[in-house]
Amino acid sequence: MAESICRALRDGALEGEHAPALTIKDSIASPFGFHVFCHVLSQLSSFILAGKSQSGGLVVVSFSRSPSFYLELLKNKGIDVVSSDKRIQILDCYSDPLGWKDRLIEAGNFTALSHEASNSSTANVLKDVKHMDKLYNSIVERGKGLIGGGKNRFSVAIDSVDEMSRHASTSSVAGLLSNLRSHDQVSSIFWLLHSDLHEARVAAVLEYLSSMVTSLEPLHQPANGHRGDLENLSLIEHNLKKGKFHVRIKRRNGRVRVMSEEVHIEQSGISFTSLSSEGAINQGLVPKVQFSLELSEKERIDRANVVLPFEHQGNGKPIQIYDGRRSLADSKHERQVAATEKVQTNEDSGGGEIIYFRDSDDEMPESPKASI
Amino acid sequence: MVMEDAEAPHHMLLLRNFMSQGLVHNQPLLYASPAIDPRGFLGTLPSPAASKDEKSHKHDPDQEKGLRIAWQYKKYFGESQLNFDGQRDGKHEYSNEFDLRKPLERHFLSAQRVDCVSIQDSPNLSALQDRSATFLSQYPRNDGSISCAGRIAIQSFSAPQCAYSNMEWDMLSFIRSLKSMVRSSNAVALITFPPSLLSPSFCKRWQHMADTLLSVKAIPDEDKELSQLLTGYQDMVGFLNVHKVARINTQVPVILDATTFSIKLQKRRFLVLECLNQAPVDGSSGTSYGTSGSCSGSSKTGNLDF
Repeated sequence: MAESICRALRDGALEGEHAPALTIKDSIASPFGFHVFCHVLSQLSSFILAGKSQSGGLVVVSFSRSPSFYLELLKNKGIDVVSSDKRIQILDCYSDPLGWKDRLIEAGNFTALSHEASNSSTANVLKDVKHMDKLYNSIVERGKGLIGGGKNRFSVAIDSVDEMSRHASTSSVAGLLSNLRSHDQVSSIFWLLHSDLHEARVAAVLEYLSSMVTSLEPLHQPANGHRGDLENLSLIEHNLKKGKFHVRIKRRNGRVRVMSEEVHIEQSGISFTSLSSEGAINQGLVPKVQFSLELSEKERIDRANVVLPFEHQGNGKPIQIYDGRRSLADSKHERQVAATEKVQTNEDSGGGEIIYFRDSDDEMPESPKASI
Repeated sequence: MVMEDAEAPHHMLLLRNFMSQGLVHNQPLLYASPAIDPRGFLGTLPSPAASKDEKSHKHDPDQEKGLRIAWQYKKYFGESQLNFDGQRDGKHEYSNEFDLRKPLERHFLSAQRVDCVSIQDSPNLSALQDRSATFLSQYPRNDGSISCAGRIAIQSFSAPQCAYSNMEWDMLSFIRSLKSMVRSSNAVALITFPPSLLSPSFCKRWQHMADTLLSVKAIPDEDKELSQLLTGYQDMVGFLNVHKVARINTQVPVILDATTFSIKLQKRRFLVLECLNQAPVDGSSGTSYGTSGSCSGSSKTGNLDF
């Protein structure tokens, strides 16, 4: 499932369509959103550098991490940003988002620190994030700088929409994202959101604007009451390493594809496996009745041991299939044989037998039972 | 009014048919959308499908006068009245069939007939209100013959990228004033909005404002449960629910056979609304369900073609 998302971002937009947009949503119960974001980022970067994707460049708008973090991250994945043909640009909204340092320097109270010059060619500092249209222009400018003009396209990764929402109203953030999506030269776009930090409406708005929504949930819900319980602690610990990864993809034909996976956080990164079949998903589909519809283990063994009366047993006896045309005498004989056979099997297997109550035997107005 | 589903663009299918129908029948259109360039959407309007049968039927002007939210009512009158006789001299028959693969001819989209407004950047709704007022003033309702009728289509009215989208009372009062303007003129209006982005109380208020209320819903892909439950699941793209039907100047309610329809795209060209058919239930007695023809497949009598 994570691969299908990365593939969708890689394939980009069709002519005349809005660019596919991915929202990665997490919460405090399962805080792996950033890991997923980094995973998608490195996947998309490697696609771009290998030339396999529709987009020719990537603009990373970093709000919550410094650009050097991303350079390190990509280097660890084997992608050397600086030398990679300038395919990846990082718009630095982390160091000085509101332009305070400049103002402090002007006010004379601040001497510029010499090591603050992170003037690598890949990082461009944006000092005015409050105005979404300025941010939009910067992103588009960087993107165009990466790919040139014409039919080329670029992708956009936004570190965290939370920071954007802090500085600007929801409608201007929504305007920025939808304008990016409908820009001719944007191939795909994805962003991270921590849903606890906002009202429900903000998450709803971002889901409305995106074509794919992934959300992270804890595998086990700890019981609410006794927080200090040892059991709960281990569950919580468990939740810090694993989680459920749900994906909702809005397909072009108007249907919604829903998928789920398990996600594990390891030292080396993040891995996705299919959900261990705890039956959690299937429980919704099995009708709720008062008797058990499943067989217990003993019942299953017994069923496997039942010898069907007319089946070929492989013991030299001829197959006797009742076809309804035998005379009474024959059938009586048969029944004796069958009965002895049955007794034998009873002794042998000691488990399964077929118990059959005929309808006509039943005097009482109960429904017939046939249990295996 | 049409309640959108955030996960599927089915309201666009309804909008396209509505707009095309108006343009084809010489009914000028005012189209407002949150896109920066709404004119682009006009290129996706479908062209009327070639009419299948040549049934001619006397066009009853009285009947049409009562149909304020005109195209909605056509659905509920049964097949025999769906084909109205237009004059055969170049005018189109009034039909609900549009071919999504064929774009509408350019001459229908001239500036005299279509006016486009972008509602993304306007800080409040006064500009849209003025535009609507000037548009509607051209179609006053006279007692007597039907002069020209106008259509207003507003797409995704409370879309989050619009600057006014958190001014809920303002949006509500806009709808109210639009409704009163439409009532006193010869026009109909179609507004689509995403209810998931409104607060619940406002969602209810907006629903009360509507004369006719529909909602579209997305369906999950490859859902085994649904495919067992419904026939024709493979072709369906969504559901349409009719919540309210307009009752203006009448005390007779419209009682529908069914309020939930499945949205299908026949051959990817024609929007088709069908009543839902429940698939035969597995495990029921023997062969009778599985082989009976009437249970499966699309029913002919229930077809509501757009």
